[in-house]
Amino acid sequence: MLDRTKAPNKITPGKILIPKNQPVKLANGAQLIAVNAGTQDVSKIEIIFNAGTRYQNQALSARAAISMLSEGTTSKTSQQIAEMFDFYGSFPEHSFDRDFASLTLYSTNKFLSNSLGVLTDMIYNPVYPAHELDIFKKKGKQALIVELEKVVTISRQNFFSTLFSNQHPYGAYATPNDFDILERGSIVDFHNQFHSSNNCLIILSGKISDKEIRIVEENLGTTHFGANKNIEPATLPQVLQTQQKVFSYKNDALQSAIRIGKLMFKRNHPDYPKFMVLNTILGGYFGSRLMRNIREDKGYTYGISSTFLPFKDTSVFVIGTEVGAEFTKNTLSEIYKEIDRLCTEEVSTEELELVKSHLIGEVLRTFDGPFAIADSIASLYEYNYLDYSFYERTIDTINTVTPKELIEIANKYLNKNDLVESVAGKIEND
Amino acid sequence: MIEFKKHTLPNGLKLIIHEDYSTPIASFNLLYDVGSKDENPDKTGFAHLFEHLMFGGSLNIPVFDEHLERVGGENNAFTNNDITNYYITLPAENIETAFWLESDRMLSLAFSKKSLDVQRSVVIEEFNQRYLNQPYGDVWLNLRPLAYTTHPYMWPTIGKSPEHIKNATLNDVKDFFYSHYAPNNAILSIAGPVEPNKIIDLANKWFGPIEKRNISKRNIPQEPTQTSPRKLEVVRDVPFNAIYKAYHMCNRNHPDYAATDLLSDLLSNGKSARLYQRLVKEKQLFSNVNAYITGDIDEGLFIITGQLYPTTSFEEAENALNEEISYLHHDLISEYELEKVQNKFESNFTFEESSTLNKAMNIAFYELLGDAEKINLEVQKYRSVKPESVRHVAKMLLNENNCSTLYYKSSK
Repeated sequence: MLDRTKAPNKITPGKILIPKNQPVKLANGAQLIAVNAGTQDVSKIEIIFNAGTRYQNQALSARAAISMLSEGTTSKTSQQIAEMFDFYGSFPEHSFDRDFASLTLYSTNKFLSNSLGVLTDMIYNPVYPAHELDIFKKKGKQALIVELEKVVTISRQNFFSTLFSNQHPYGAYATPNDFDILERGSIVDFHNQFHSSNNCLIILSGKISDKEIRIVEENLGTTHFGANKNIEPATLPQVLQTQQKVFSYKNDALQSAIRIGKLMFKRNHPDYPKFMVLNTILGGYFGSRLMRNIREDKGYTYGISSTFLPFKDTSVFVIGTEVGAEFTKNTLSEIYKEIDRLCTEEVSTEELELVKSHLIGEVLRTFDGPFAIADSIASLYEYNYLDYSFYERTIDTINTVTPKELIEIANKYLNKNDLVESVAGKIEND
Repeated sequence: MIEFKKHTLPNGLKLIIHEDYSTPIASFNLLYDVGSKDENPDKTGFAHLFEHLMFGGSLNIPVFDEHLERVGGENNAFTNNDITNYYITLPAENIETAFWLESDRMLSLAFSKKSLDVQRSVVIEEFNQRYLNQPYGDVWLNLRPLAYTTHPYMWPTIGKSPEHIKNATLNDVKDFFYSHYAPNNAILSIAGPVEPNKIIDLANKWFGPIEKRNISKRNIPQEPTQTSPRKLEVVRDVPFNAIYKAYHMCNRNHPDYAATDLLSDLLSNGKSARLYQRLVKEKQLFSNVNAYITGDIDEGLFIITGQLYPTTSFEEAENALNEEISYLHHDLISEYELEKVQNKFESNFTFEESSTLNKAMNIAFYELLGDAEKINLEVQKYRSVKPESVRHVAKMLLNENNCSTLYYKSSK
């Protein structure tokens, strides 16, 4: 008779193979990492520049510089570029954050040479046409106005500008008006200065042979592009964090959005792996304490989580959720209770074992397939200077960390009197 | 090309196995043939609420997630109009844990009162977060009952209103479980570094003992053919006006489905697509436009939508959309433009197949559509669409008598 109350034996997966792909320096100074894995004849190319919003002199110029590369070159119009990518079945994407900007191309290997040719032209010869800039401004402004209607946007922006002050590049946000005053000259300058071959890492992943590597080298690796100097990150202003609460009232809000958190160390700090385990216990997975308490016990929310958000020069620990407006106060007090608990009660061995198993599964998933490996290399480049031992140290900590060490880490870094709290929506009786 | 092995258990559970040794992770996907279209019109949102309850403990296992975490697994689920789909990814060595957990909740839930009370509240917050507390979030709550008078696609999966969810009882939950959750109403697909015979043994061991259940034959009312234009205007506290046009289209297995899908692609898939180039970039009437199909199994909707600039009137916006439609009625699309959207479809399809979990989900879904083997014919099907069939579909579909138009008006 089958005993359904008993779990099947757990088999511990063998040693996790950590890829350690090393960069190759190309003739023009760009660095290239190639990741060959997977079964389909497709590839992904990501070009990461140290060209985030922290480097801009005018709001929106970093974003316009990367996103308008596809809006015209000296030989192709915006429409011709779009036609070519679509015909090749390729998907060009761009992204930007405070520290980095990147261009990504997904292509079948069959059309890799064609579509990468177009991408290369965009990087070498963009023209940022004035009429395309007008459309960028008009569309972008309207989208931002809609975005600012959301409680989640308001609470996030208030949180970061309180944490860093809005004078700091990590705490500043573009306003709708910034679209009106954006100048083409500052975009062109930004591109010339920051999108350069000395200042980028190219990650090629997928089912990759010498042929695909050669195509990338020929396109992006021979001729120099952009300013001929290395980017020295500007020294960021010192931030003195104090406990602060900000509240933004929104009429008719059914839910309040909450962000609570603080500044943390950089991701290459020796305490990071332990803090990461602690964060997972608190709000880093479906079975976390915040989820169990605030969603699965009280039903105040559809979801709640806590995150360690790395930046190049610092990091932020932040708890985020959207809760029924009538539950706002209770949710806040439960969040602080959970932080207190981490500082006063040792986590049980049983709970810790569970979190450890979960995290080992997460590490396995980090290396599942070519694109996941490429993403993990990208973040290793951005926050750990391509130090692959980071993963070994992380796995090692997951396996060995004790409840005693975790309570020490909690007391060292999580003091509830030292957090910034931002709420947008409604608080009952206020 | 996805190769797989099929096997059906005596209790009716369909099993499909795809071997993929390029990953250490196995994907375990269990599709139940039940969606929000199977709900009682007075108890909507139930299929989805039920999906939440499936995580609230089963007959022999009080807590679902913990056991999976313990073996490094991860799981989630989704519900739509047609299906409820549960999926797990975990290190392949521990695949038996997935069998243990999923078979127990197919056998029977714990039907806990606490779980129902909490998940009712969680789902109401999901309703708020995604539909009521978002700008333009309630579009589908308005558009569906306009487009459908009879078919249960007239309500969204989240339900008609939070009231329906508030009123759900434990008896409703039990009824729903025994009428839809059964081995003979499910398809299990597994992809990853797995040995098919071992999988079949595990399926027999864990799912084999679950008895076949009496699943009543689906009897869904057909939507009558729409014969005249339908219009609705709503006023909301949003910054800009938006327009939504919904046209009835064919079902998922209809020969015109691929041509209809490609028609929506040539209107708005990619930056070179017609609506973006002409209405966002040339005429600058909209800040964004989109055209897509809902992808439902029964007769679904072809949607065209856009957000207007403050200087654009609804009349101008609609005229511009209708002008694009009239080109499609009159002019055959070029071989080049057709090849472009076909290339895009094929490339997208290939990228999807680079994920093992996607492969597992897709083979189960194609099996539900009639035969998992259809997945390997899909690209060919899209490749064989001709310009004439695109024009034929445009003529049949894109006309005002077949259209429900929603003016979403800003109160500002």
